[in-house]
Amino acid sequence: MLRENETVSLGPGELFGEVAAMYRSPRTATVIAETEATLLEIRWQGLRILRRDKGFADTLEAHYRKHWLPVHLREIPLLRHLPESSLARVVEATQLRSFGRMEWNAGYRRTRELPVEQQIESEPVVASEGRIPTDLIIVRSGFARLSQQYGASHRTTAYLGKGHVFGLEELSCNALSVKANLTRTLRQSLRAVGFLDALFIPAEVFAEEILPHVRRSELPAAAADLMIQSGSDRSRSGDRRRRERNGIRPGDWNDLPSPTGQQFQPTGLLEFIVQKRLNNGRQAMVIDLHRCTRCDDCVKACASVHDGNPRFVRQGFTHERLQFVQACMQCTDPVCMIGCPTGAIARDEETGVVEIYEPICVGCGTCAASCPYENIRMSEVFDSQGRGYRDVQTDKPITKATKCDLCSRQPSGPACASACPHDALVRIDLSESEPLQKWLDRRS
Amino acid sequence: MLAPSFRRRRWMASTITLLLFALFVFWAWIEESRLGDATFLTGSTVLVGIVLLILLGVRRRLPVLPLGSVSVWTQIHLYLGFFTTGAYLIHVPVVLGNGWLEGGLSLVFIAVTVSGFYGIYASRRLPKRLTAVEGQHRFDRLGWHRGQIAETARCLLDDLQEPSAHPVLGQFYQDYLNPFFGSSPTLAYVLVPSGVRRRRLLNGLRELNRYLEREGRDTAGRFAALVRRRDDLDYQFALQLRLRLWLVVHSTLSIALLVGGIVHGVIAWRFTS
Ligand code: SF4
Repeated sequence: MLRENETVSLGPGELFGEVAAMYRSPRTATVIAETEATLLEIRWQGLRILRRDKGFADTLEAHYRKHWLPVHLREIPLLRHLPESSLARVVEATQLRSFGRMEWNAGYRRTRELPVEQQIESEPVVASEGRIPTDLIIVRSGFARLSQQYGASHRTTAYLGKGHVFGLEELSCNALSVKANLTRTLRQSLRAVGFLDALFIPAEVFAEEILPHVRRSELPAAAADLMIQSGSDRSRSGDRRRRERNGIRPGDWNDLPSPTGQQFQPTGLLEFIVQKRLNNGRQAMVIDLHRCTRCDDCVKACASVHDGNPRFVRQGFTHERLQFVQACMQCTDPVCMIGCPTGAIARDEETGVVEIYEPICVGCGTCAASCPYENIRMSEVFDSQGRGYRDVQTDKPITKATKCDLCSRQPSGPACASACPHDALVRIDLSESEPLQKWLDRRS
Repeated sequence: MLAPSFRRRRWMASTITLLLFALFVFWAWIEESRLGDATFLTGSTVLVGIVLLILLGVRRRLPVLPLGSVSVWTQIHLYLGFFTTGAYLIHVPVVLGNGWLEGGLSLVFIAVTVSGFYGIYASRRLPKRLTAVEGQHRFDRLGWHRGQIAETARCLLDDLQEPSAHPVLGQFYQDYLNPFFGSSPTLAYVLVPSGVRRRRLLNGLRELNRYLEREGRDTAGRFAALVRRRDDLDYQFALQLRLRLWLVVHSTLSIALLVGGIVHGVIAWRFTS
């Protein structure tokens, strides 16, 4: 198994898991003890305090750059085929930068009510339309909005999530058409939606170390045409054979549906999704109101698999014929997990479902208060005879956090979706545009 | 695997249903041409069809079981309904049977079929009409929303400072607005929702404008907004109630049909064997 995967050896005093802890992203590596080892676990809150110390922050960055940055860069399809020497130069030149607030949920309820133009204005600008591109920007975590000036305001054209790149077309065109002396400026602005953590690869490093190893099919159409004209197409059969021999399949780029962003046809829907930050949802509950007969069979089904207590109510943001129901979306960035004092709320590694382990939930309500979408509720708990538990001292009912668990223990999957008689309800990944687009196309 | 589009699914299911029905007609015809009696074949097909159709109701009540999604069951229910209606038409010598059992049974069958067809229409059309009105309210919360609107209207009047507006708006509130906000929609409105009430009240409020000054006009405008909201709510109530009621009627009649069908089948079988 070790031979099939990229491995890194860690010794005394070294860290792992700090990126996942700081950015609430899933762990990207499995750690195995080769010998007997004693570990010290620092929770993310502690890590955040420690990072205020300049020395510690620099150590963290140096450690990340040395051990994990090469691994993360390799995961990006565009950089997969870089030779070691080029990768080393890219690692050395890459800048790590963050925008916005990690606790984006704090201001979310206010900003989601702002008119779109004001919300766009309030977002930190990462790169501006019309400027000469200086870096290839890769999203490491968080979300970004692509927009174009339209009249007096900006129009959203796509949103970016983890692994997406920005500036690829402009940088490639500039590098390939250097003789023609035609410098392209950025066609869109990039803004952080809430929080964005990104890698910046300087333009010259991109041109010298990355572009020569990128195949034509991996580039946007304009850059691909220039590649043909300049005769530097890398997709030669020898190249392909070598890659296939190394176990890399030609279609590997497809694991990101769109390398340069998520784009819906109707701008209104796109803007709505970004505005309400619904693109955080991996399993959002969406109802097609043109087919929903309001029978509530979905709610009844949910109740029947959860001891009579449904984990959602059929209400939520609506946009034209779509309703985005207030049920846990199993977010990409589950901010609800911040601050749980007992670790009762956690993401299941296998299923990806964010679950609450009731026995260790102390009912403090931190997760319910942190969920920006108000998708976690505090509910009374009952014993097997249906009697509510009460606090001995205050005699108040004891409540615990409840939320949609995606019926992860049911063989039939989410009961709500399978109970809908009219194909009106779906659990869908909104971090990408394709599933929703396909779902809408199917019913048009 | 990519699920087919709704249009394609409709086309495929209709073709399969038509093919199966053609096969069934052919089978009945062979039976007849052999000088046999196809009535038993067609009758038992109708009865089996009814049993299978009723299974959808059972499936809806058991959402936990991994028996496929209810939407697939609904699709099968729909096309099986078409098939069974066709089988029924072949089975009966006349659409409305004579004799109290056969006559009654055929009446119930027709009622179930008509309510089923209405169900298809209602479940496709009414959701669109519901979506077109402002606000998506849950049926169980409509009463609460009504109460909220009535309360807001009362507060509006209480907060009115303009002395000359008091008698004008107070009178209108007492005569028209309070009865409107304070009561449930009438049966006539529930059966045939119309914009007559809304228009009348809005026109009335508009006519008051000339007796009012700035604050009074402002309050009248807010009353008008509440009238619109309340009317939208009643419209939602009427349509949602209709969607719920047809299902109750359809399933109750279906049970009656099943019982009657079994009785009819047993009698027919006793007399023919
Ligand atoms: S089960 Fe389907 S049709 Fe019924 S309320 Fe839920 S989403 Fe709407």
